[in-house]
Amino acid sequence: MSSLPKHLALTAVLTIAAGSVSAQQLAPSPTLDAIKARGHLECGVHLGLPGFSYANDKGEWSGIDVDYCRALAAAILGDATKVKFTPTSVQQRWPVLQSGQVDVLARNTTITFSRNATLGVNFQGINFYEGQTFVVRKGAAATPKDLDGASVCVAAGSTEEKNAADWFKERGLKISIINFQKNDDAIAAYDSGRCDAYTAGIGALAGQRIKLKKPDDNVVMTETISNDPQGPTTRWNDERFQLVVRWVLNGQIAAEAYGVTSKNVDEMKASSQSGDIRRLLGVEGGFGAMMGIPNDWMYQAIKQVGNYAESYERTVGLGSPLKLARGKNELWTKGGALFSPPFQ
Amino acid sequence: MNGADAGLVPFGPGQAEIASDGRVTIIGPRHGRRFARNLFGTPLDAAITLACAALLVWAAIPLLRWLVLDATVSGTTRDDCTGSGACWVFVRARFGQFMYGFYPQAERWRVDLAGALLVAVTASLAWPGLPGKRPLGLAALIVGPPLGVWLLHGGWSLRPVETREWGGLMLTVFLSVYGALLALPLGIVLALGRQSRLPVIRLIATIAIEFWRGVPIIAVLFLASLLLPLILPDGAGIDRLARAVIGLGLCIAAYMAEAVRGGLQALPPGQAEAAAALGLGYWRTTGLVILPQALRVSLPALTNEFIALVKNTSLVLIVSIFDLLGIAQAALADPAWVGKTWEAYAFAGVIYWLMCFGLSRWSLAVERRGRRGVRN
Repeated sequence: MSSLPKHLALTAVLTIAAGSVSAQQLAPSPTLDAIKARGHLECGVHLGLPGFSYANDKGEWSGIDVDYCRALAAAILGDATKVKFTPTSVQQRWPVLQSGQVDVLARNTTITFSRNATLGVNFQGINFYEGQTFVVRKGAAATPKDLDGASVCVAAGSTEEKNAADWFKERGLKISIINFQKNDDAIAAYDSGRCDAYTAGIGALAGQRIKLKKPDDNVVMTETISNDPQGPTTRWNDERFQLVVRWVLNGQIAAEAYGVTSKNVDEMKASSQSGDIRRLLGVEGGFGAMMGIPNDWMYQAIKQVGNYAESYERTVGLGSPLKLARGKNELWTKGGALFSPPFQ
Repeated sequence: MNGADAGLVPFGPGQAEIASDGRVTIIGPRHGRRFARNLFGTPLDAAITLACAALLVWAAIPLLRWLVLDATVSGTTRDDCTGSGACWVFVRARFGQFMYGFYPQAERWRVDLAGALLVAVTASLAWPGLPGKRPLGLAALIVGPPLGVWLLHGGWSLRPVETREWGGLMLTVFLSVYGALLALPLGIVLALGRQSRLPVIRLIATIAIEFWRGVPIIAVLFLASLLLPLILPDGAGIDRLARAVIGLGLCIAAYMAEAVRGGLQALPPGQAEAAAALGLGYWRTTGLVILPQALRVSLPALTNEFIALVKNTSLVLIVSIFDLLGIAQAALADPAWVGKTWEAYAFAGVIYWLMCFGLSRWSLAVERRGRRGVRN
């Protein structure tokens, strides 16, 4: 409690320095206080999904969702290793968040209105644009539209079957759907050449491609026929913690846009003249203090984990076995859908 | 008979050992004859035997090729697995995780020690004629469980290891052993309660048994792991692994209670009456006369429940606890090993089978000795 007045004073000074209109005071944040008190972040992740959240041979968690948690830990505590992971099943993901067993959920979960409105959770941005797409043999087709006249293997009665049928019908295109009892049968049929394509979510397809007989002869399309954005999720209340969760993700994306990487971040911090970069890295603006965390929050996150592109390429992108192109998960300036609001 | 023996020639690896007069030199003439009579007694028997043998060979050869002959053992990555057989490189790379989960490398000796103690105690209790078994068993029952928890969980000069870092085979064994330690005494108490002459106790025991026997174990695990933290005030949460053990233990206790009740009902009423005639009260009658005999009778059924418990532990995966099966499945999510599904499940399956087979052998040994005791 004794540090609170100091914090308030500091915040007031910094906000005035930053030219802000109102002198705001630091709202209470039980979650941030708890994280600092226990010395680590509690992060809920997927039980095991290639590229998103999995344990490697050494037992270390990796993946794009795991990377986000590490960045958040680096921003709050200055150390990307100070995070503990709670793997969660589909049924468990909401209760562990609601009951406070985890601070944040980064678990490949689609953002929807009804979840937002009824589960007492808030989605803090998008770290992966998931969506249904197709795996095809290399060079056969580049986008879903090119599949006109092709045959597609699907599991009978699945959402994917209905989605695909509707999508092509709406566009006056023809595909022949070949039904199988199970997903595994449909993949095996595709692999043996019975059909031209197999369809599923882009993240799942990237993992399944590796299982094919000749993975490198097949490619996962990056254009999707459905939109299932996913991102870090928090409980309702505690707006200050939500602020941190949201802006660490924004910060990773902004860092990519500004060209700040884990390799050049020291140099950027020391010599960049760009106001955006200086505020992002905490050289000026005092943005960290406004949220009640160190001012070098994004410097630590980028230094220790990397910007969005580094994280993506390492976990699901071309630098990983999944070899997923950026697609929609590319900056808006490069044809994707990712952007960060300005760091101003 | 000679004609039947001649039919044995195309069957089995020992065929070359059968002499022209029908004598089998390796396993002896009597065994050979009985063997031949059983398998080739009639033309129909012979046909069935040959069909089964063909089926076995048809299934076994590809399996053997996949498991051993064409399998890759050496190497470090999936690229080393070029053969058409199993990629045991995967299991080798993950072996530590399959056994210990995410238990810290430097502390794994504690798990080994706890496991060795467990094996030593169970083996010596099954050892026929070992002196001082009763005090040893009693001491193991009193000291063992807390000692095991201390070794695994740490504290008191040992580095604490959170239960979320536990996993793999050690977790499966932990859940089985502690589940049984909870279930067996509770099951006995419930069974005695259900036989009690006092209506209130009988009612309570019956309701408890029927409730826990009636709810699915999955529902209990969900309740324990998801609803309890939501209901209980923040921070008062019991460790999630402890919740799973308690949930499993309560369910299995109800099943065990019924197994013990079967044993109790199998005893002739004369036993209790004779004990009463000797002036023994309820507790001494139960403890000295009834229970030892009832437990001996219900041992096969209890073993059954215990084996069921071992296999039911894999249900904890749905509450995100990585037991042996869970850790094998989780390993498949590593892009470095995606698609090694058969290897993961074959390995886990063999371990489960070995555990359950060992258990049933152990109980058979105990049973045999028990029967001898009765006869003497």
